[in-house]
Amino acid sequence: MNVLRFGACAALLAVSPLACAQHHEAGAHAGPAGALAVGATLDAKGRLWLARVESQRLLVAHSENGGAGFSVPVVVTPEPEAISADGENRPKIAVANDGTVLLTWTQSLPQKYSGNIRFARSTDGGAHFSAPITLNDDGRLTSHRFDSLAINGTGRVTVAWLDARDRDAAKEKGDAFAGVSIYFAESADNGAHFGANRRLVEHTCECCRTSLTWTAEGPVALWRNLYGTHTRDFAIGTLDTASVRRATDDEWRIDACPHHGGSLAVDGRGALHMVWFTQGQTRKGLFYRYIRGTTESAPMAFGDPAAQAGHATIAAAGDTVLITWREFDGHVYVAQALYSIDGGSSWSEPQRLATSSAAADYPLPLVDGKRALVVWNSATEGLRVLPLEQVKPQ
Amino acid sequence: MMRRFLIAIVAALASAAPAHAGDPASFTADSLAGIEARYAGRPFILSLWSVNDCSYCMAELTLFGKYAKAGKPLPLVLVATDGPEFTPAIERTLGRFGLGGKDSWVFDDAIPERLRGAVDPTWYGELPRTYLYDAHHRRETVVGALSEKKLERWLQQH
Repeated sequence: MNVLRFGACAALLAVSPLACAQHHEAGAHAGPAGALAVGATLDAKGRLWLARVESQRLLVAHSENGGAGFSVPVVVTPEPEAISADGENRPKIAVANDGTVLLTWTQSLPQKYSGNIRFARSTDGGAHFSAPITLNDDGRLTSHRFDSLAINGTGRVTVAWLDARDRDAAKEKGDAFAGVSIYFAESADNGAHFGANRRLVEHTCECCRTSLTWTAEGPVALWRNLYGTHTRDFAIGTLDTASVRRATDDEWRIDACPHHGGSLAVDGRGALHMVWFTQGQTRKGLFYRYIRGTTESAPMAFGDPAAQAGHATIAAAGDTVLITWREFDGHVYVAQALYSIDGGSSWSEPQRLATSSAAADYPLPLVDGKRALVVWNSATEGLRVLPLEQVKPQ
Repeated sequence: MMRRFLIAIVAALASAAPAHAGDPASFTADSLAGIEARYAGRPFILSLWSVNDCSYCMAELTLFGKYAKAGKPLPLVLVATDGPEFTPAIERTLGRFGLGGKDSWVFDDAIPERLRGAVDPTWYGELPRTYLYDAHHRRETVVGALSEKKLERWLQQH
């Protein structure tokens, strides 16, 4: 197990000495000086990239050795901004095949629930970043939040998010509008330029993360949708064809904000793998299913409901599929994992990877053709990169 | 005798209530037991809400505020799940809805699951969430925004 305090004071003194004093006091809603929710990815060379927020700045570093040591963090945001990095909000990072480093995040604005979807990139291996731009192009001060990022590696970049512009427009006309919408922006040149925003769908749940993955059919999204005005089950959509369909039949009827979304990944054979949370009439808890063409597996329950198992994330590469989630066993947080090495047909026993006695992020799974890692940040233990040696990626 | 009894009740109320009227008190793993003891033999409403990211909470606070402003008796305990650093925002929000005088608490634990477990082990943090306690403290769980119809019926019954 490699332990690294990426947020250690030394690296940050140049930014703000305040970050040191407040870092270890970070609660579940850690202040801007020590946000726990990080973004992570593996690039084509197997390097681990990490994006995190300290003192209202987005920082990026990478590791050449699986997380044992990281480069000196580079500041992405020259001006301080309120970057959402708690709960299901986190910066997103992806690295294209040519080494372009791409980042999106949600900038939280002072007006309640309002935000901007921000983007920056580096074309010199993360040494410098372009000035951040705002991707939402409607000019409204409203909710543009819960961004997700997917790339094809060779130039196409898609950013999707929850967007309240249609709801606001309906309200201005005195019309009712349930939920919000999903909008997205696309680039064909690794983020040098983005086209105009496009709408995928209206009437989604307002405050759960979206998830985006790149498939042979282009970007595919998973989100908590609204069916009628009360039922908050998941939908899956292919952005290129704007084809959307219901992905779960949980029948969770609730007028509330679950703040608890799903996660989607695609494996080497093109099968989709999804995990989600529900408290529906049909089922309750965390679930997994794969979608192979027109075949869908039955929902597989995982996680201990007595330990408030939640906030699962999924990653896939080749025939390896890795799921992580967080539990609270009554004393400490526990990072849990499940893995499959046959494309989701069979699964390991739950792997209790690590614990944290104070505030902690949700664990994040990363797999490529050679390694399986779980990245877990916490207030007292710092950032941990946990290799799953027992997983032999195919 | 009656007077002494009343004084004792007032003292008990004062000790369990927030130190300063309007301030949310620190809600920890044993807070609910204290609140329930304070309301022993009496019905009350426990409402969990958040000042962050919960439009349905605002709808519920609007409803409570309507009753509070009308001067109707409303035995309400409000618990915000945001963390003590959101105290100013919590006070501002409750004040705006006319709920500034209500019994107000805020989650104070680096692990909110611990507090959720103390309130209800089956609660994953969805908000708003309301528990309607009867005089025997049998409670009805309302997941999501409480409707005016349901609140009205409860107030008539209790």
